[in-house]
Amino acid sequence: MIRQTLEADSAGSPSHPSPALLELQGIDLAGKGQRRLEAIKLNIQPGERVALIGASGAGKSSLLAVANGLIKPNAGTVLWQGSPPAKSRRQRRRQQARIGTLWQDLRLIEELTVQQNLNGARLAQWGWPKALLNLLLPLETGPCAAALERLDLDQALLDRPVGSLSGGQRQRVAIARLLRQEPLLVLADEPLASLDPRLAEELLALLLDYTRAPRALVMSLHRPDLLGGFDRVVGLRAGRVLFDQPVDQLGQDQLTALYASSL
Amino acid sequence: MPALVLIPVLLGLPQLVHGGGWELIGQFALAAAQPSLDPAVIQSVISGLGTTAAMALLGWAGSMVLGVGLGVASSRTVWRTVLGHGAPADLIRKLLAIPRSIHELLWGLLLLQLVGLEPVVAVVAIAIPFGALVARVVSDLIDALPTGNLNALSAAGAPAGPALVTALGPPLLPQLLSYSSYRLECALRSATLLGVFGLGGLGTELRLTLQSLNFRELWSGLWVLLAAMVLLETLLGWLRHRWSMPNRFTKKVMASGRQGQELVALGVALIPLLVWVAQSQQIDPGALLHWQALPPMGPPHWAELAGLNWPSLVGNTIVLTGLAAALAVGGAPLLLLLVAAWPLGKLVVRGIWLLARLWPPPLTALLLLFVLKPGVPTAALALGFHNLGILGRLLLECAETADRAPEQALISGGTGPRMALLYGRFSALARPYLAYGAYRADVILRESVVVGLVGATGLGSQLLEALSSFAWDQLLALVAVYAALTLLGEDLSDRARHQLLETAHGDDQSQEVGGAWR
Repeated sequence: MIRQTLEADSAGSPSHPSPALLELQGIDLAGKGQRRLEAIKLNIQPGERVALIGASGAGKSSLLAVANGLIKPNAGTVLWQGSPPAKSRRQRRRQQARIGTLWQDLRLIEELTVQQNLNGARLAQWGWPKALLNLLLPLETGPCAAALERLDLDQALLDRPVGSLSGGQRQRVAIARLLRQEPLLVLADEPLASLDPRLAEELLALLLDYTRAPRALVMSLHRPDLLGGFDRVVGLRAGRVLFDQPVDQLGQDQLTALYASSL
Repeated sequence: MPALVLIPVLLGLPQLVHGGGWELIGQFALAAAQPSLDPAVIQSVISGLGTTAAMALLGWAGSMVLGVGLGVASSRTVWRTVLGHGAPADLIRKLLAIPRSIHELLWGLLLLQLVGLEPVVAVVAIAIPFGALVARVVSDLIDALPTGNLNALSAAGAPAGPALVTALGPPLLPQLLSYSSYRLECALRSATLLGVFGLGGLGTELRLTLQSLNFRELWSGLWVLLAAMVLLETLLGWLRHRWSMPNRFTKKVMASGRQGQELVALGVALIPLLVWVAQSQQIDPGALLHWQALPPMGPPHWAELAGLNWPSLVGNTIVLTGLAAALAVGGAPLLLLLVAAWPLGKLVVRGIWLLARLWPPPLTALLLLFVLKPGVPTAALALGFHNLGILGRLLLECAETADRAPEQALISGGTGPRMALLYGRFSALARPYLAYGAYRADVILRESVVVGLVGATGLGSQLLEALSSFAWDQLLALVAVYAALTLLGEDLSDRARHQLLETAHGDDQSQEVGGAWR
């Protein structure tokens, strides 16, 4: 069982009245032929857990990539805690460190051990010496073991190369790395797609619990049946926001419209 | 198909033979069985090997440091991560094409003219072109790695440097190790070759004993070189097996930290070794700064320069390259097919290839001159024979790891062993092998200078002549033309390789052959 009693620990909440963790205004993103995102407006407050739904190719992954700064939009503004992406590299890194992304393809480093991968999330805080040592020695075993334990993984996995793990284990290692980063804003791109139903529900519960205030969560999803624990749901269709509302107000007709084939 | 080149060569051979030397060839062959065991000879051979190995080791170490540094500096991925733009990488890449296009022998001879006969000359001569080549391979390897992990670390706020090392270092390392160990073998071959041209070490001994027809002493040197080469190839093969794990998912894997520790320990152990080797050979980098007084240069003789028969020089070089490449590329599978039925024959072929690899082409050329007239075909035979050894080994390695199921099916269906090998295994290997052959042709073009001493072989022999007669204007023009030709050849062979590999099934084997095995 995964522990459900998590507290949003020392994430360093801002002292001033907290602005939105993420604010997107008028985002346009060009693609081949048609636009991938168009006039996106989104505001994520601390404590909000938002599900992003839509058909394949609706722009969910693009939206998350813009939100975590990987892709620069062609128009519009991205604000993290009220500030645009910083020009200074150091400032920018500090901003990025507060955004944790759970990638669809996990992006674990196959050749490295689980522990080295988990420590990869701390590189923002570490300097060169520690980053190099991490490639040679097991560092910070305590916190790494704690992160694994939260995900109900055996500590013995710490010095196993990621390449030798099973699919479910890798998925959980990726989430453990996210916990190691201690982000404020969690962006997750279909993290439940390839898991068996029981594990999917457990991991969803863990992520929902982890992202109580002052944190927040945006997760793209394929399955409307898992929307239960979320606060808000955003429907995306052909790069546009079709609806953005509390989950309990979502009607079946809206879902039908969202997934209806175009034309 | 490329083996068809054998027909005109065989037909042309009778006209080349000048007789007279057969007796010498016979003596040479007989001497193989009874090398000189005179302690004085053995001692000079061993000390010669020591010098050659030292030049190879230091040159290799220098080229790896240069190559990895410059390789990182010419990687688009690195610049994009650090600066957000890949353009500086392209600039550095283009600049590095120049030192790369000039063969280590030319570097050696040029430096020899500039600073005199110093032990450091051979080391630098190996380090410069090898370094530029390693840089290209390293940057290609880095840029071929998927950048997903790198983006993930950057998006989590990791600084550019540590993110690059953490995300790209581990996947790069096995490829880099495999390649660098291969480079060490190349360095030993090059150091021997440089010796043949008078830069000291075993190569010099080999040439002197050959020219004075002391075949028994020649074979003492050859057997020692052979033993050293086999030892090195075996040791490196074992290390590659341990570290570079191309089939890493099938075996139990070492924890990565452990591997890193071993590597760091090895690297640290290498430093005092290198220092000791350098001191024992009295290699003094300072010697590079003391240039010799050059003979007066005089005004360039434009008329004479234009008077050189450029089309014929370039044409001969290209013909030489084509012949040698076809011999090597076509010869290897043909030989394997011929001996496929006899296990003993395979062993013999393997032995011949080993000899071909370590036997410097100019010495083969000299040996061939006993019975053949100087000219392009003689040079092509010498060069082709050497590259046959290199290609053959690669083909054999690939053939042994290739899937045997189709072959077994053919054999159990009553097909002969040769047909089965041809249809069952070679057909799958053909594309990656030809792709590597295209790369090898490019190397042969660069190497064609080393057989220049048999005369009338195009740019190579003209270059050596210009060097020895201090004709600087000619020399510069020739080097420039040669470099341009090499760059053109490199571009062509790259295109041919890409085309061959793109249409091939994108399996690991073809990438290994086409990419890492330069």
